[in-house]
Amino acid sequence: MSGLMAVKLRRDLRASWSRFVLMVIAIAVSLTVFGGILSAWASVGRETTGAYMSTGPASATIVLQKGLPPERMAALAAAARERGGVLEATGRGQFTGQIVGKTIPLQVFLAAPQDPMRMARFDVRQPSAGWPPAAGDVLIRRDSLPLLGVTVGDTVTVTAPGSEPVRLRVAGAVYDPSLAPSRQEQKGFGYLSTASLATPLLDQLKIQVAEPGQDVPTPNRDTVVAMAGDIARWLQDEQRVAVREIQAPRPYAHPHQWQSDALMGSLLAGAALALLLSSILVATMLNTLFTQQIPQIGIMKAIGARSGRIARLYLVMTLVVAAVATLLALLPAVLLGRDRLESSLQNLGIEATSLAAPWWTYALILLAGLALPPLISLIPLVKASRTTVRAAIDHHGGASNPSGVVARLSRLRGLDRGLLMALRNTIRRPTRFLLSVGLLACAAMVFVSGMSLGTSVQAVEEERAARRYWDVSVRLAEPAAMREVTDLVRRVPGVARVEGWNSAEAGVAARGQIPVTRTYPDQGHGRVMLDAVPAGDAMFTPPPMAEGRWLEPGETGAIVLNQNLRDTTVPDVTAGDTVTLYAGGTSSSWRVVGIAGEREGDIFTTAEGFAQAMGQPVQVDQLRLATTDTDERTRTAVADAVDAALSGAGFTVAAANSVSRNQAISEGHLGPVIVILLGIALPLGVIGAIGLASTMSANVLDRTREFGVMHAIGARPKTVRRIVVAEGVFLALASCLVAVLPVLALTAVLGASFGNLFMSAALPFRVSLPAVGIWVALVIVGSILATDAAATRASRITVREALTYL
Amino acid sequence: MITTGPEIEVVDVVKTYPLGEGDVVAVDHLSLTIETGEFVAVVGRSGSGKTTLLNLLAGIDRPTSGIVRVAGADLGGLSESGLAEWRGRNVGLVFQFFQLLPTLTVVENVMLPMDFAGKIPAHQRRDRAQELLERVGVGDQAGKLPATLSGGQQQRAAIARALANDPPLLLADEPTGNLDSHTAGAVLEVFADLNTEGRTIVVVTHERDIRSIVGREIVLADGRIVTGEEAVTA
Repeated sequence: MSGLMAVKLRRDLRASWSRFVLMVIAIAVSLTVFGGILSAWASVGRETTGAYMSTGPASATIVLQKGLPPERMAALAAAARERGGVLEATGRGQFTGQIVGKTIPLQVFLAAPQDPMRMARFDVRQPSAGWPPAAGDVLIRRDSLPLLGVTVGDTVTVTAPGSEPVRLRVAGAVYDPSLAPSRQEQKGFGYLSTASLATPLLDQLKIQVAEPGQDVPTPNRDTVVAMAGDIARWLQDEQRVAVREIQAPRPYAHPHQWQSDALMGSLLAGAALALLLSSILVATMLNTLFTQQIPQIGIMKAIGARSGRIARLYLVMTLVVAAVATLLALLPAVLLGRDRLESSLQNLGIEATSLAAPWWTYALILLAGLALPPLISLIPLVKASRTTVRAAIDHHGGASNPSGVVARLSRLRGLDRGLLMALRNTIRRPTRFLLSVGLLACAAMVFVSGMSLGTSVQAVEEERAARRYWDVSVRLAEPAAMREVTDLVRRVPGVARVEGWNSAEAGVAARGQIPVTRTYPDQGHGRVMLDAVPAGDAMFTPPPMAEGRWLEPGETGAIVLNQNLRDTTVPDVTAGDTVTLYAGGTSSSWRVVGIAGEREGDIFTTAEGFAQAMGQPVQVDQLRLATTDTDERTRTAVADAVDAALSGAGFTVAAANSVSRNQAISEGHLGPVIVILLGIALPLGVIGAIGLASTMSANVLDRTREFGVMHAIGARPKTVRRIVVAEGVFLALASCLVAVLPVLALTAVLGASFGNLFMSAALPFRVSLPAVGIWVALVIVGSILATDAAATRASRITVREALTYL
Repeated sequence: MITTGPEIEVVDVVKTYPLGEGDVVAVDHLSLTIETGEFVAVVGRSGSGKTTLLNLLAGIDRPTSGIVRVAGADLGGLSESGLAEWRGRNVGLVFQFFQLLPTLTVVENVMLPMDFAGKIPAHQRRDRAQELLERVGVGDQAGKLPATLSGGQQQRAAIARALANDPPLLLADEPTGNLDSHTAGAVLEVFADLNTEGRTIVVVTHERDIRSIVGREIVLADGRIVTGEEAVTA
């Protein structure tokens, strides 16, 4: 670019500095958010995977039906290690107990003192001692300490199923990033040496699997499953050890990786959309500027400038905006990224090894900031630079040849002349009209879809609440005879109805095969549960069926599978098929009588069927109670009274709570998602409003001469002002109409993806009517406010000013 | 396509504009030859086709039919960019409303065509622009922005800009239309001076007094030449 063109560029920038500042702000803000989220997203993945893999997680856990003595398990592990493709193998145990006097369950990981801890390991941070702890000592995961209400040095009594309570000293705090945070799971985690138990048994053979010739664990789950299957068959056929199930979680993925990915991915998509919209906004504003400069372009062409030189001038102008915005955004983006990273890792219970974002994120931020605005401005830029002298001479603002639509609008009857004029003016410049409408429609799309997602989530919650027919839930530490427990509870004042449930960890597989699940070591994530549903006068109502039928009262040997479980575990199974079910330490064949189209639950059977499978009488480990009054005070009082009554009768109550507490936990999980969506939608709305203001300002500048003429022929400032404001309102209303289909589409897509991510099924399709109302009101008020400055300017244009306008 | 011959040669040119459901004929089978060094005034009533003819000569408009050869080029064979380059090197244009770029100073406005054409070496451009401004009598306004100059001063600066690349042909559309009579006279004197250097000048005007300084006056009506008489030199 020549020196004079540089001078012109500099002075043009100075002359329209306020508009350029607005452009820079729009790009810088959205680029800051995009860059921050991008770098956090990239780093969270790296840190989470790094922390998870630093623990050397098992590729698969082969769960035995019965525990073996540590010596036998060590021999089996040594034999498994000899197999090609097995990097490491070790025997472990696990049980869920409870610290006496505490309501939060404690999941205890058990290992032999001589376990070399080459896999599924953890760091003992306080005091800095290693494995094993002394006999009688327990290590507690650091983030479990406050949840359990214990500190290092305390002595606690831990109950364990099938054995006497054990007194243990909390000897240290452990950092174990392979597990989900204790707070989120509402569960404590402990680590115990078999030396602390009188008759220790280990029931898990953990293996790390590699591809042939490799010395790192394979990321291919199919390879893992195949190897674990081989070993499981070897255990069953040659070692005569019954295998209950193979647990093979997603390789290299922290149990909450998907949650973090989903949230970060949503934020990133929103930030990218904001960046795209702000680029469109900048393109609109630059288009305005180019349009304003058409007479000058004509002069330059008349005195010898070629299109290429003009294009270079405006390209540099666009690049200056993009470069300044990118420079301004870079540091805040880095800081925002680090802040988000720290916060995300804190939520995952992971300590960062580095807060630095990968180099390519910086490259991508620079690329997005520098390339996106010029790229989106390319069409108006090329169009402006190719303006002919003739077109420049003819340029008086609006389209020189009224389009068919404009002509048809001219024939509308019964409309006020001023409004008719405004309506025609709204679409006089089709490109600008489409850009502004598109910008506002995008913002409307995200706002209404975001709010609609909230409505859908609320609908699910309401659906759940409607189905949640009980007021108090009680969990027993150990199953007890149903009749005995229910009779006792019915006598507690305030209890209207009682229903007993029982559940057990289970595995399901096609007939004759070993079940393979995606269960993580915490036995929660990916876990499959068999629920014994109550019968008789129970309050429970069967879920809607996708296939087959629901269970008959007292029916045995029959199960109903949840649709999601069927799809992910035994996809070929349909109603009428027979499957192998492993539950309560035994395996048996079951007939699938139906597939439930339900969001919650995995496998359902009758209490009688459950009892038969377990080889025990009908028992319950959970109670659902309806209270005489449903106020919170009554619920809490009944929960306390039932706890006291059961404890007094010798039952160990793990938890007795009002359902309100469970609702609060559920809402706590979903709340941030909605806040994030609204957090994305609102800035987009602001960008849309800035875009509208810019468009109206451009329209007024464009038609300076026209307004001058209107004043010259007697139009009052009030009349001109009304026309301009009406144009803004028409444009805003047009954006609402344009947004209808995209809103419906995005709402459906968001509902499907968030529903599948968080609730294993698409959310019900709901369009938030309050959101539609709020947006229409906002956009109309916004359009009036955004147009005000332009309308004021239009109403004050003098005839003289109009005639000398260049 | 470069050819040799008269400075301007217009052969049977028709220019129509679409208007409503039909076409308006602005120039109707017009033929015209202007030799190098001539000073020609094109006069006529509003709508007679004067400005359209000038725009055809400047390559701003393209004829519907016919041939326009100016300064050795057949304008019909040039692209838009080609026309811009050709204009920069061969034609100086002066408009009624001065049309100086508002964000450049007067001297920078004059230097701009030199930048575009690249005919004048870069280090000579400022001096040449200053000389041209001195010549048209606004040398002392060189560093000012156009908005601070009077109408007459701006039009003189626009003439200086038109001379920037020393073009053999000057085309002016109502150059005095926005000036008072005294200033208009002075601007026409500048054109007369430039003509004496051998430059071809075509001026579209309403000025009745112009007959005294131009060599030929072409009167247009309804897109056709009514008379093309030699003017009487005072």
